[in-house]
Amino acid sequence: MALFKKRTVRYEENEYGISRKRDLGFFIFSRILIILTIIVILFPILWIFSISIRSQETVYSAFMFLIPKEFTFRNYIEAFQYAETHLNVTFFQMFRNSIIATFSSITIAIIIASLGSFSFSNYRFKGKEFTFTLIIASFVIPAQVLLIPLFFILRNAGLLNNYLAVIIPYIGFLIPIATLILRSFFEQIPNEIKESAKIDGASDFRMFLQIILPLSKPAIASCVILLFLETWNEFIFALVFLQNPQIQTIPVAIAKIAGGKYIVPLGTYGASIMITVIPVLIVFVIFQRWFIAGMTMGALKG
Amino acid sequence: MSTYHRKKPILRFWDNTGKPYSFLVPALTVFLFISLSPVIMSLILSFYDFTGYDANIFKEFIGFENFKILFNDRYFWISFRNTFYFVGASISIQVALALFLSIVIFFGKFKNSVLIRTVIFFPAVLAPVSISLAWRQILSQDGVLNQILRIDFSWLSSVNLAIWCVIFVSIWQWVGYNMIIFYAGLQSIDRTILEAADVDGANWSGKILKIVIPTVTPVIILNVILNLIGSFRVFDIVYVLTRGGPIHNSEVFTTIMYYYSFSANGPNKMGVGSSIAFIMFVIVIIFGVIRIRLMRRGEE
Repeated sequence: MALFKKRTVRYEENEYGISRKRDLGFFIFSRILIILTIIVILFPILWIFSISIRSQETVYSAFMFLIPKEFTFRNYIEAFQYAETHLNVTFFQMFRNSIIATFSSITIAIIIASLGSFSFSNYRFKGKEFTFTLIIASFVIPAQVLLIPLFFILRNAGLLNNYLAVIIPYIGFLIPIATLILRSFFEQIPNEIKESAKIDGASDFRMFLQIILPLSKPAIASCVILLFLETWNEFIFALVFLQNPQIQTIPVAIAKIAGGKYIVPLGTYGASIMITVIPVLIVFVIFQRWFIAGMTMGALKG
Repeated sequence: MSTYHRKKPILRFWDNTGKPYSFLVPALTVFLFISLSPVIMSLILSFYDFTGYDANIFKEFIGFENFKILFNDRYFWISFRNTFYFVGASISIQVALALFLSIVIFFGKFKNSVLIRTVIFFPAVLAPVSISLAWRQILSQDGVLNQILRIDFSWLSSVNLAIWCVIFVSIWQWVGYNMIIFYAGLQSIDRTILEAADVDGANWSGKILKIVIPTVTPVIILNVILNLIGSFRVFDIVYVLTRGGPIHNSEVFTTIMYYYSFSANGPNKMGVGSSIAFIMFVIVIIFGVIRIRLMRRGEE
């Protein structure tokens, strides 16, 4: 867990790089560049927030493009109504659907992947690396390759328009990522701990449940965040497999406001986007270190 | 002797009890039914003619007919070109930009470096659909970008520029993610070397070329591979921003596959869609082989 420990070290105290005295040119350049970058990154989000709180009359004009002339929260109420009348699904239902699809697939994927990773990290057996490569390889294959066959498999099983229609494929996509992270973490657990459990007469499965899993909480937490982003934001499978509006996840339902079938007032449009962004923003602010650690770790392990 | 003994893994003998396999049964079952068999089925289906309403999809074998349809479709080649642009830009421009930003932040010694990195990273956690909806409005004809630039231009309806707008939005979303990974790599640079270089009066280009770049080369490769995998399968950004338009000029592989197979305005030819999947699969395999070859060469 080097990543988590590293964060507490204060690098700013080290003497390297530039200081204002030594290299004024770079000092100014770096400040300007970073300020510009932050403007480019934040402007779209701030702008959408800004139009979401403008009154309908002033929606096209604002001070400095961002500060509304007339504040209102009506757009949010209208976004809720618009979703109900035009998208045939309330925001409450969208969130419920996304939560069900995301959390059930993450839970199952982590259970399956941790069992598999335990096997990879704890035993030597024939075909170990080959099996591991097989499971990991499916991460590289674009999910869209599986779209058409899975459509027919799920249709023939009568599962289309059911949460299982997305949960089942998601489990398939998440297992490789989770296995990659958990295996390397499990392998870092010192053998002494495992050996002492062996001596106490614990079965392998009990050792897994009572020693390996509790020790792996940080890895599992990072894993959950990584898998959460993968599934919460997933689009194409939910789009194809969930055609009944009532069970559509947030991305699929919200994408329809760009459809052009009905004209959406700009304020409502902005408010609808903000309703999907704000919860993620809150979760991100609370767990930001874990997000960054989880996503960096996922990448570095690959 | 005893220290040597301790370093060996806990189970030093081949385990033939079947226990390791029993832990793997769930993962392998999922792999078999959700990954392997659909891939094989997809490859076979590219030789059949079928629609989404057919009960028996393996009825009409038509050989290479689907591929012929595809290769005669001008817009398939455009989607090929666009996918190439997309992948190319995300492994070159985006990676270079991310590396540049991470170096500036690392050497800039910002007081609130963590906050800066978090803000630049932030778009990566948002749903591509949400940010594409935002950008769709910004880039529209009466959008705020035209207001700022005081011009009247429909960015997303431009035959030549639409795909580049999509690529721009993708870079906007993911550059922070690459930057964070680079930053983690930069933190592993031995600081005493940098201080020694400062004492010796090394200039900027020297420090970056001789100390920074060699250290982050593995991270560059990692970011290139991540972006390669990610940008090759991009769908949602294109779908929301342009729907492949104007008239299919910003299609990529995945969107043209969606158009052939599932789109309400499409021809509903799932066989052709499957043959696009086939082609994507082959390209991924080629890249995989190249990667393994390169890794072997690196080891030698």
